[in-house]
Amino acid sequence: MTATVEAARPVTRRSLDLPVQVALAAATVALVFFPLVPILVQAFSTRPLYDPVRAFTLSNFTRVLSSGAFWSVVGTTVAFAALTTVLAVTLGTALAVLVERTDLPARGLLNSLVILPFYVSPLVLAFAWAVIYGPQGYLTIWARQLIGRDPWNLYSIPGLAVVSMVYYVPYTYLYCTAALSLSDPQVEDAARIAGAGPLRAIRAVTLPLLRPAITYSALLTFVSALELLSIPLVLGTPAGIRVLASYLYILGIAGGRIDYGAIAAISVLTVAIVTALVWVQERLVSEERRFVTTGGRASRIRPMELGTLRWLAFAFVMAYFTFAVLLPLIGIVAQSATAFLSPLINPLQVLTWDNYRLILETEAYRRSIVNSLIIATLGGAIGILFMAFISLMSYRSEFPGRRALTYLALYPRAIPGIIVGIGFLWAFLLIPGLGAVRNTIWALMAAFIMRYIPLGFGAVSPAILRISPELDRAARVAGADWLGTTRRILLPLVRPALLSGYILLVITFLKEYSSALFLFARGSEVIGTTMIELWRQGNSGPVAALASIQIVLTLVVLAASSALLRRR
Amino acid sequence: MGDLVIEGLVKRYGPVLAVDNVSLTVPAGKLVSLLGPSGCGKTTTLNCIAGLERPDAGVIRVAGTILTDASRRIFLPPERRRLGMVFQSYALWPHMTVFDNLAFGLRLQKLPRDEIRRRIAEVLELVGLGGMERRYPYQLSGGQQQRVALARAVVSQPAVLLLDEPLSNLDAKVREQARFWLREFQQRLRITTVYVTHDQAEALAISDLVAVMSAGKVLQYGPPREIYERPATRFVADFIGATSFLDGIVSDRSNGQLRVRVGGEIELCVTSAPTRQPGEPVVLAVRAERIALATDGNAVNIVPGVKRSQVYLGSRYQSLVETPAGTLRVETAIELPDGKVHLKLPPESLVVLPPEEGS
Ligand SMILES: Nc1ncnc2c1ncn2[C@@H]1O[C@H](COP(=O)(O)OP(=O)(O)O)[C@@H](O)[C@H]1O
Ligand SMILES: [Mg+2]
Repeated sequence: MTATVEAARPVTRRSLDLPVQVALAAATVALVFFPLVPILVQAFSTRPLYDPVRAFTLSNFTRVLSSGAFWSVVGTTVAFAALTTVLAVTLGTALAVLVERTDLPARGLLNSLVILPFYVSPLVLAFAWAVIYGPQGYLTIWARQLIGRDPWNLYSIPGLAVVSMVYYVPYTYLYCTAALSLSDPQVEDAARIAGAGPLRAIRAVTLPLLRPAITYSALLTFVSALELLSIPLVLGTPAGIRVLASYLYILGIAGGRIDYGAIAAISVLTVAIVTALVWVQERLVSEERRFVTTGGRASRIRPMELGTLRWLAFAFVMAYFTFAVLLPLIGIVAQSATAFLSPLINPLQVLTWDNYRLILETEAYRRSIVNSLIIATLGGAIGILFMAFISLMSYRSEFPGRRALTYLALYPRAIPGIIVGIGFLWAFLLIPGLGAVRNTIWALMAAFIMRYIPLGFGAVSPAILRISPELDRAARVAGADWLGTTRRILLPLVRPALLSGYILLVITFLKEYSSALFLFARGSEVIGTTMIELWRQGNSGPVAALASIQIVLTLVVLAASSALLRRR
Repeated sequence: MGDLVIEGLVKRYGPVLAVDNVSLTVPAGKLVSLLGPSGCGKTTTLNCIAGLERPDAGVIRVAGTILTDASRRIFLPPERRRLGMVFQSYALWPHMTVFDNLAFGLRLQKLPRDEIRRRIAEVLELVGLGGMERRYPYQLSGGQQQRVALARAVVSQPAVLLLDEPLSNLDAKVREQARFWLREFQQRLRITTVYVTHDQAEALAISDLVAVMSAGKVLQYGPPREIYERPATRFVADFIGATSFLDGIVSDRSNGQLRVRVGGEIELCVTSAPTRQPGEPVVLAVRAERIALATDGNAVNIVPGVKRSQVYLGSRYQSLVETPAGTLRVETAIELPDGKVHLKLPPESLVVLPPEEGS
């Protein structure tokens, strides 16, 4: 065998690398700008978008900024988001330290229980809390009988914040446990040896080490809470509490005269502020990364002994889970299966399938379940592949615009869901020829995918970055172009991450509602939009039935995925 | 067969000049080592040849085919260069069997199945791994993985073979065997090879030619013996082998011999002297193993000294001896006596270097 020297390998066919990369980049640009452009245009236009005679104006902004209603909404939103953040971050950090660092009993179980609300739609959580703690809630009535007056008021800013706290605790919890598992537990031992008790050691050493994770989670929670629609809509509207998202929703469905200019101006202002917050958050991440790499990866060692506090702490975590998560979820399932849920009546006497029958026998309601399933499974698959390709282009190609692409892919974080929906709707109205797509689930799928590009990107990128670049270089030298390398080497190697990213998207798409609210039409309803429709009609029974169906679907996906992931 | 020619190669990473105007000709069928400390630009040079990096300036061609010409904006992507490459981590694709790893490039060339099977069997036989086609990389030892990586690199009969520290992940023992084996393998295939290493013993052992690099530049390029015995700069002399340096001034020049005055009253005679004039400052380099214990007090180039410390290397002793001319590293088969010693520095063992070079 001797090496024969020929000219370079003959070009058998033109490589599709560049066309494919350009197409993917163009799709990303189109998706991200699609909803933004009409909103920007509308914000500076005198007349509604569909009106061909429009002129440039700043009056939309002056009108919004000089309206008292707007500023009161801003005040409420900030108060709500701030309170939610304080509560969620405090509890999330405490739970993370307890579960990750101490000798709490059954820590594996507690870990799963604490992150459970992550999988539940905040809309469902709101309905569920109303069933138990609302003015006519099960425990409220029970307590009222006991003490003779209203024990609490769920339909208040603190009430909204407590429910939102439950939804956001997993975020802080996950960031803090990740940071704790990276930092060296021996620093705590050193504090103990120096004479500090366990609580003192946590306060003096563990918490300061967690500061980057805590700051990051706080910003993340604050930004998400600013744009949260569901909990304020369901629990705040009865008491006249309005936040930015629910205000936009009310403005948008006002019927008759819709103030497009005001909606657009508020959207632009919101997106600008959230962009700034996300930018700060991004700066923190890069600093946190530096922080983590300086600390070595330590093997898990003996957890801190809490002594007598051990069972007290366990009882605390269990009580939190029972009252904040379990009871409301049981409540909503019970509500769905009874004609009337109250402590005054034995629920077994009022058992009924009527709520489920209504959902399953009404075509539009049934369709919303089918649509949700199609969007979740099919849209999730398209989405994760698309997002994986964006990540591969960002980190594993010589595509000239790859840095800009990375920023673009992460940008949708700064666009609240309801504004994504408004933007997509307007874009469909504005661009001729897209009318056929507008009322189909494909429109919703596009909006969902756009909104969650950062989620999928974040889910697959770490796995892609972990693959040694020498593996793709070897394929290139062996004669494969970028596409071949991607298809034959990189994608097969990140298959586990693709799978878990897919599951994440399926669950997220199943519970997504805010970007669908403006966009859905007859025929493209999803579970979330139907729940809100039913709620507006005052049908709490069918809402509970639909919520229960969504919970069950999510549990099925989770069970199937853990079986699937375990088999590997 | 054609030579691999590199002319004026430059590669910058921001402010860092990773490769600084490197020119080399790798003769067809020869094995050339790029030798130098970590970070000196060896991998970057290799990656430029492979097309994995885009050079800022320079031309690279093989047998008349231009792979890269920065000034004419010619850049052939790596998949069209017909090269074989072995990576430091081997880069075996973990989700493919040995057979699939080897077949990857052949399938891209659209070779018939039988041909692919035949070639893979042949090359696996050649690297001593016949019958291992169905194994996955994790089922192989480090040495076997290294040979699979080599087999994968040559199975498509590349014009040039590139190796980036292919032995650095092996145990010391296996590494020394692999050195011989690799050299034999290359000789058998007569494939033009560029071999990157930071291990001077490895480079000297297996190369036809060695290019010593530092800070992105090639300092010296020549056969191993020449690099070892006639280092061109202080850096090269220092990097290869255990070397001592003595500062001095040329005092006399006659009969093609140089006399150099080093510290104190000592004058050393140098035979292989380039053109240096009396009064010029120079540095003398001497290999530790060329210094001997003087038996005859009247011979030339005798330097008195005091033994400071000594380590046992297994078959030889290495000692540090303090002399009026400076500290000398000495390697001897027998132990130097404690206290005062007289050392002999044979005139032909002394290499004259320019004074300000390196540090
Ligand atoms: N991708 C890169 N970005 C920035 N600097 C780099 C990069 N790759 C290499 N360098 C720098 O170029 C120099 C040469 O690196 P390299 O060729 O890897 O050295 P060697 O292989 O000889 O150890 C080093 O200073 C290194 O830090
Ligand atoms: Mg290197």
